[in-house]
Amino acid sequence: MKEEARNFETDLAVIGSGIAGFAASIFALNRKINCAQVGNTGAVAYTTGYLDLLGSNEETQAAIDNPWEGLEQLKKSQPDHPLSRISAADIRKSFEQFTAFLGECGIAYTGPSETNITALTPAGTLKKTLCIPATMAAGPKAFADKTPCVIIDFKGLKGFSARQVVANLKDKWPDLSTARITFPEMAKGEVYPEVMARALEVPATRAGLAELLIQTAGEAKVIGLPAILGMHRPDLVKTELERLTGLQIFEIPTMPPSVPGIRLREMFEQVFPQKGLTLIPQQKVTSLCFDADSAVLNLRDNYGPITIHAKAVILATGRFLSGGLTAHISGITETLLDLPVSQPASRTDWYREGYTDRRGHAIHKAGIEIDASFRPLAQNGKAYHERLFAAGIILAHQDWIRGRSGAGIAIATAYKAVEAADQFLHA
Amino acid sequence: MSNKKIPTINFKEKAMELLPEGASFEACLSCGLCSSGCPASGIENMDPRKFIRMAMLGMDEELSTTPWVWCCTQCKRCQHVCPMNIDISQLVFLARGNWPQEAKPSGIVRSCQLIRSTDSTSAMGLTPEDFVFVIQDVLEEVRQTQPAFKNLQAPMDKKGAFFFVNQNSREPMSEPDEMVPLWKIFDLVGADWTYSSKGWAAENFCMFSGDEEAWYEVIKKRVEAVSELGCQVWLNTECGHSYYTMWNALTRFGMEADFKLESLITYYAKWIREGKLPVNSNWNTKSIKFTVQDPCMIVRKAYGESIAEDMRFIVRSLVGTENFIDMQPNRSANYCCGGGGGFLQAGMTDHRRTYGKRKFDQIAATGAAYVLTPCHNCHSQMEDIGHHYGGNYGVVHFWTLICLSLGILGENERTYLGPDLLELIT
Repeated sequence: MKEEARNFETDLAVIGSGIAGFAASIFALNRKINCAQVGNTGAVAYTTGYLDLLGSNEETQAAIDNPWEGLEQLKKSQPDHPLSRISAADIRKSFEQFTAFLGECGIAYTGPSETNITALTPAGTLKKTLCIPATMAAGPKAFADKTPCVIIDFKGLKGFSARQVVANLKDKWPDLSTARITFPEMAKGEVYPEVMARALEVPATRAGLAELLIQTAGEAKVIGLPAILGMHRPDLVKTELERLTGLQIFEIPTMPPSVPGIRLREMFEQVFPQKGLTLIPQQKVTSLCFDADSAVLNLRDNYGPITIHAKAVILATGRFLSGGLTAHISGITETLLDLPVSQPASRTDWYREGYTDRRGHAIHKAGIEIDASFRPLAQNGKAYHERLFAAGIILAHQDWIRGRSGAGIAIATAYKAVEAADQFLHA
Repeated sequence: MSNKKIPTINFKEKAMELLPEGASFEACLSCGLCSSGCPASGIENMDPRKFIRMAMLGMDEELSTTPWVWCCTQCKRCQHVCPMNIDISQLVFLARGNWPQEAKPSGIVRSCQLIRSTDSTSAMGLTPEDFVFVIQDVLEEVRQTQPAFKNLQAPMDKKGAFFFVNQNSREPMSEPDEMVPLWKIFDLVGADWTYSSKGWAAENFCMFSGDEEAWYEVIKKRVEAVSELGCQVWLNTECGHSYYTMWNALTRFGMEADFKLESLITYYAKWIREGKLPVNSNWNTKSIKFTVQDPCMIVRKAYGESIAEDMRFIVRSLVGTENFIDMQPNRSANYCCGGGGGFLQAGMTDHRRTYGKRKFDQIAATGAAYVLTPCHNCHSQMEDIGHHYGGNYGVVHFWTLICLSLGILGENERTYLGPDLLELIT
C-alpha cells in the first residue's frame, strides 16, 4: 500500500510545543495570522503552572520582588540576555495576552502586576513568580496574612508531602498544620495527581472529597491541597469544592508529572484546532529547508509523511530535553539547520567542578544568536534566512533556571518573534 | 493460565534491536507521565515506568512472567505523552509473544485459533457458508418486512465492487439485525460495495496474542480476498483494531496491496458533507446529550486527529452541536477504555474493570446519556463498566443513530436505544 503524503500550506509555522511554541501560536491567532504548529510533547507537562518573568538574579541568586526593576538592571548587567532586547511594555503585553487567552479558554490566571508574587513550591519553599493559576491564588495570600491553614496530602501520593511543606514554612507561618487523608475510592497503591484531578471532574467524587475535607479542616477556614482540582475545568472544580465545604481552598504545585502542565497542554491541543490553527502535536519536524518562496517542513506521524509549506517559520525547539540543541563530544549543535551555537570554547568548560556550584554552569547559557528582528544568525553574522525567526530558551545568553525566567523568556520572545514575522508577512 | 514455565527475554537487548537508530530507552527521564496517564498503572503492581526501569535494570525474569502484559492494552498512550517518545507497547507485545501458548489467556488463544480455522478469518469460527447464509437470510427478512427496503442489497463476492466491506463477527453470529442499518446507509448513498465469503471478518486476536506469524497469516488471507475481488477500497466497519491490524501489518510485514484501506467513519463524514446522507438533529427534541469515544486503534495509533475530527462532525450533525459533549481528555490523548488488546477475552474481569474506572469517570463527567463509538471492544467494555459502576448511560453504534436520524431504523434494529430515544421515534 502506498502512503499518501499530506500537504499543508500556511503563513506561519511554529516548530515546538513548549510554552514558547504555544505562546507563539496564541500571538499568531491574536494577530489573525494563518498558522500551523508542530512539535513533540515538550516539557510543558512539567511546569508548576507558575509563569515566572524574572524571579531571581542570575548571577547573585538574590530573589527579585519587582521584576520590572529587575529587568532594568538586567539590561545593564546582561545586555545580550533575550529579555534585555525587549521593552517592558512589550513584555507586559505579552503576559497580558497570554494569561487572557488562558482565562478565556477555561484556565483563569492572575494577570501581570507590578510586583512578583511570593508563591509556594512543592517542597514548601518560596519562589518569586509573576502570574499564577486562579486555583493557586489563595495560597500566597494566606501565607502573607498568616491565616490558620491545614495542608492536606493523600495516602499513596508521591511527590507531594504536606509534612515537608509545613516543616519548611512553619517558622514563617505558625498556624500551619498538616493532615493526610485517603482520596475517595483510591485506597490502594500509588495514586497520581493526574488521576485524582480527572476524578474530581465527576460531581460524586467532589462530594466524597468535600466530606473528608470538612472533617479534616477542623477550625481552619483555609486548606491547601496538592494541585489536583480538576483537569479540564479547574476553576469550576475549585468553586464547587469551596461551595460544598464552605472552606477556602488553594492548590500547591506537585513534582512532575503535575496537573497544571497537563491542563495547559490538553487545553491548547483542543482549543487551537477549534480556532482554526493546524496543530500536529506529538511529532518532531525531521527537516527544515527553504525554497524560493517558502519554508518547507517535513515530518511524519503514525499515519505517514506530512509536508508543510510556510511563508515564515518560528523555531521554538527548546534546548537539550526537547531536542532543539544536541550535545556531541565535539560541541553543541542546533539540530534542524545547524545554526551556529554560542557555547563554551570546549567541552571541559561546560560545567564547573561541583554540580551544585552556586555560580551556575556555562553550558546553561548556550544557544543560538538572533538579530534585532529575532532572526537567527548564520555563520556570517547575518540573518540565516528572511523567513526564519526564533523564540524561547533556544536563545543564547540566559540561564532561565537560575533566573527563574523560563516562562518570561518563552512568552516575551515568542511575542517579538511573531510580531517580526507578522511584519515580514505583511511587508 | 497454566504453570508452564515462561522463557526469559533479555528486554534491554531486544529493546535496542527494536528501536530506530538514535533512539534509546535509556533516554527515559523517569518522570512518570506514562504511568500517571495509564489506566493499567497499579494493576499487578506494575506500571509503564516501572516496566522500562526494570528492563533497563535487567529484571528480565520478572518482566517475562508478569501477567500485567495482558492488562496493558498496548494503547500507546504512554508513548503519546512521553517527552522522549518511548514506545513501551512493543516490549509488551514481545513479552506476550514469549508466553507459551498454554500459558497465555485461553480466550485470546482460542479466538486466534478460530480465526485460523476457516477462510472467514472469524474469531467466532463462523464459516464462509454460514456467513453467506446469515446475510441472505437477514436480507430476505428485511425485504419482506420493511417495504421501503424491498430492494435492499447485500452483495456477496461481487467482483470489481468499489468497496470491500469487512464485518465484525459479532453481528452475523449474535445480533444479525445490527447489520441492516449499515446496508441501508450503503443503499441510500448508492455505494458500490460487496461482502466477501473469504477473509470477511474484522477481528484479529492473533495480533493480541503476540503471535506475529499468525497475525501475518490472517492479514495475508484478507489481502488475498480483497485482491481476488479486485476491489479498490477495503472499507473497515465500526471496529477499531480491525483497521489497525491490517494497516499496521502491511508496513510491518512489507506486504503488497493494490487497494486502499479506509475507515467507514471517513466515508460517513464524506457522505454527510456531500449531502448523500441527509442527517439532521431535528429528531432530538429532548436535547439528549451524547459523547464520543475515540478508539485508540484508529485515532491515536493510526489516523490521528483527522478521523477524530470526522467523528465529531458526524456526531454534531446527528445530535446537534449543543448536545455533543466531548470527553476529557479526548482524541489522541483519550484513555483506552480497557476493552482493547484482548482484555475483554482474557478472563481478567476484575483487572479489566479496575482499568475501566477511568473511562467510567470520563463518561460520568460529561453527564451524557449516550456514548457513540465505532469500535466493538469499546462498545462492550463501556457497557460492562457502566453496569458495574452503576452508570446511567447507553452505548450506540454510529449506524444506529444515522438511521434513526434518517427515520429508517427498523424495529429490530433498536437494541441499544434507551427509553428516551425510543420514545422520540415511536
